[in-house]
Amino acid sequence: MKRPGFTLLLVCALMLTLVVGGVSAQEATKTVVTGLHMVGGDIPTIDPHAAETSASIEIINQIFIGLTNQDATTANMEMGIAESMDVSEDGKVFTFKLRQDIPWVRYNPETGAVEQVTDEAGNVRYVNAYDSVYGALRGLAPETASPYSYVPLPYIVGAAEFNSGEGSAEDVMFKALDDYTVQITSPDAASFAASIYGLWVLRAVPQWAIEAGGDSWTEVEYINTFGPYALKEWAHDESITLIKNPFWPGTDAIPQAKIDEVVFRFLDPQQQFAEYLAGTMDAIQVPLEEIERVKADATLSQEYIVGNQPCTYYIGFDNTEAPMDNAHLRLALSYAIDRQSLVDNVTRGGQIPAQWFSRPGLASAPTLETHPDLGVKFNLERAQAELAMALEDLGLASVSELPALSLAYNDSSNHGQIMQAIQQMWTENLGITVTLTAMEPSTYFASISEDAPIIYRAGWCQDYSDANNFLYDVLYSKSSQNDAGWNNADYDALVEQARLESDPEIRRDLYAQAEDILVNQGGGIAPIYWYTINFLVKPNVEYPPSVTGNEAYFEWDITG
Amino acid sequence: MGKFITRRILWMFLVLFVISLITFFLMRNVPGGPFAREKPLPEATVKLLNEKYNLDAPVVEQYLDYIGDIVLPRITTGKLTPSSAEDYLVSIPLSGSGEDQKTLQWINFGPTYKSRSRSVNDIFRENLPVSFQLGVAALTIALAIGVPLGTIAALKRNTIYDYIGMGTAILGVSFPVIITAPVLQYLFGVQWGLVPVTGWEGPQYAILPAFALGFVNAALIARLTRASLLQVLNEDYIRTARAKGLTERSVIVAHALRNSLIPVVTILGPLFAALVTGTFVVETIFGIPGMGRYFVTSITGRDYPVIMGTILLYAFFLVVMNLLVDLAYMWIDPRIRFD
Repeated sequence: MKRPGFTLLLVCALMLTLVVGGVSAQEATKTVVTGLHMVGGDIPTIDPHAAETSASIEIINQIFIGLTNQDATTANMEMGIAESMDVSEDGKVFTFKLRQDIPWVRYNPETGAVEQVTDEAGNVRYVNAYDSVYGALRGLAPETASPYSYVPLPYIVGAAEFNSGEGSAEDVMFKALDDYTVQITSPDAASFAASIYGLWVLRAVPQWAIEAGGDSWTEVEYINTFGPYALKEWAHDESITLIKNPFWPGTDAIPQAKIDEVVFRFLDPQQQFAEYLAGTMDAIQVPLEEIERVKADATLSQEYIVGNQPCTYYIGFDNTEAPMDNAHLRLALSYAIDRQSLVDNVTRGGQIPAQWFSRPGLASAPTLETHPDLGVKFNLERAQAELAMALEDLGLASVSELPALSLAYNDSSNHGQIMQAIQQMWTENLGITVTLTAMEPSTYFASISEDAPIIYRAGWCQDYSDANNFLYDVLYSKSSQNDAGWNNADYDALVEQARLESDPEIRRDLYAQAEDILVNQGGGIAPIYWYTINFLVKPNVEYPPSVTGNEAYFEWDITG
Repeated sequence: MGKFITRRILWMFLVLFVISLITFFLMRNVPGGPFAREKPLPEATVKLLNEKYNLDAPVVEQYLDYIGDIVLPRITTGKLTPSSAEDYLVSIPLSGSGEDQKTLQWINFGPTYKSRSRSVNDIFRENLPVSFQLGVAALTIALAIGVPLGTIAALKRNTIYDYIGMGTAILGVSFPVIITAPVLQYLFGVQWGLVPVTGWEGPQYAILPAFALGFVNAALIARLTRASLLQVLNEDYIRTARAKGLTERSVIVAHALRNSLIPVVTILGPLFAALVTGTFVVETIFGIPGMGRYFVTSITGRDYPVIMGTILLYAFFLVVMNLLVDLAYMWIDPRIRFD
């Protein structure tokens, strides 16, 4: 029996639900649930001066802003809490004028709103030069033992002495000239110093909150922040929720947030993927095992994003130990690696075959557009020719007389598969049999720092966006990070010169020459690929693609 | 009886002390360290960090400091600021206020090197309750499924019930939780959307992980119950009970089942200790903020105080549970006496 009345009622009810649903969706807070750069387990810290993992830095970048700031989509340096920067004639004195309209804020769980922080007299506390100096000195202080303090040390007069416990805080030339002027003096005229001054390890932090909260000052009950977002909740081992800070003035570089709340879930990619499929997360990292499935899926492939990450994956050689002290042998191994095949068949995440070490996209690093033929590409003839020269140098009749070689790597992620592929290429292309040594990660990292294995896997990611962070900080002969023991006078001269040169194009050219010596003439290391990140982002999320390996959530939006 | 318990408790502390000693010196002899990184920290920074956490002192001294912080109570004067290195489980204000505030403090398991703001006690306070709830739920499910399944299988031996029951049990034992958990998660969470996929925000979040964890153990308990019950059913006293003319129900429940529980109770002790201190796999797969993850990450990260804390916690549960199991024997089988 037909009951038109009932059907009509149902249709009406349904339409009403749609209308009401539509209205309430507009009024509802815009929330995005993300897992980008997050991993399972708790985030180690959100204290800018203790941070070292990308997850920590990601959160810090939303709630504490540096003097300068690196734009996530262009990787260019722009102003952060400073409104202007003056550099002296000799390029050594940097004077920053701070904005005067950035208040310290906190989230009040009782009112559910972000409020401005006031001092004892009831006046709003604005981020000033003294906060900035306090933050910088705390980051550099020996008792803080900040894992990243070593990066700015060479660019602030007196910082290295203070950090080692020999100098005093007064001698650190990071000074407040007045309430809103900060002056920093660098021993050398390094053009990229201004981007280092914006690093998390030097950021302003609330002295009063740290004194009240001690080690717990980063918990919601104590923390004060000033970025476009504020900390709403930190559920340890589970998630962090940031809430829009309506008092952030909105600058040209860092606008006011458009999304009201950002929930960061601490999940491994597999779990993120499951949540994404269930529709409960908006932006996630694709697990390595699922990349093929995502690419093949009609819907998911539309939401799949391959972004740049400023990191280089490479094979290191112990340049100081026989037989790897022979440049021809190193070059033979390097030229025998078919990087394109490796990224197409093994890693499969859109990685770019690396021709050199300093990741394109870093300030002053060579790019594939400016230097398409620079560096090393798979070249069987060259590899075999280098091998012949190496054998002649070593006085050996055939490869079988080479001493036993082993390739060490940390047994995590997909390193094992990549190492096996490289091992196979060396066997097929050169007839050299290399054994693989898989090591427990912590043991492996400790052994690399003490005495590098004869051949080993490594990776390097930017601390600050400049080729100097790769070519000088890692492979300069006297660098503490130079595990490979790469030592070449011409190379050293080029990177020293580039470090103090101010013209970006001249610098790029100097770095290109240095790279040629490093990977093409000397084979100090064998670059393998430039990292990418593999994300899935829901179509209603407006995501400005990041090239820095950090996301700027204050530039995200939700549509529809 | 009282003497027995006292003696066992004293033994318990000796066992814990030996475990702490072995763990401490073993972990300090494993290569690598808490500050070994893919991107190595400069030597100067590592030196500062070692100083901060007192890792540059002789190892024996570090051990004594560590044990002293746990065992010895102390009285402090002055206002207390939260500190991850000085976080005491017991903190009782004694007298005075402000700068003269005297506080009795006891049991400090130290900071965690991985996090600047948290201590091992924070992990116990926040993460242990989560694992405990999940563990108890899983154990309840395991018993609720395992014991009846095993009993039915034993009573209906070599019938279709036995085959189905034991077939299920073998499946349960054979499929490790690392397989069942993602399958359950995919079907019930992702495909059908009946329960949340990951997280820990309410009872509904516990359903899948508790079942995943409970099912494997239910299978174990079912097999054990069946084997034990079959053995007991052949005992003389069962024949006697039947000869007395007792109903089959009272023969089974009052005589057979109770006596067959001894092996089950024996494994229940260690099982309980293992479940309530958390399971790495299930917590990782379901994104649960429990303790289990710390057992693994503390070792891979060489987070020494967390390694010590988790191992001592597990050992503590284990020795306490074994004591309770021994006491339970006396209740189950009055012939058992400890003197």
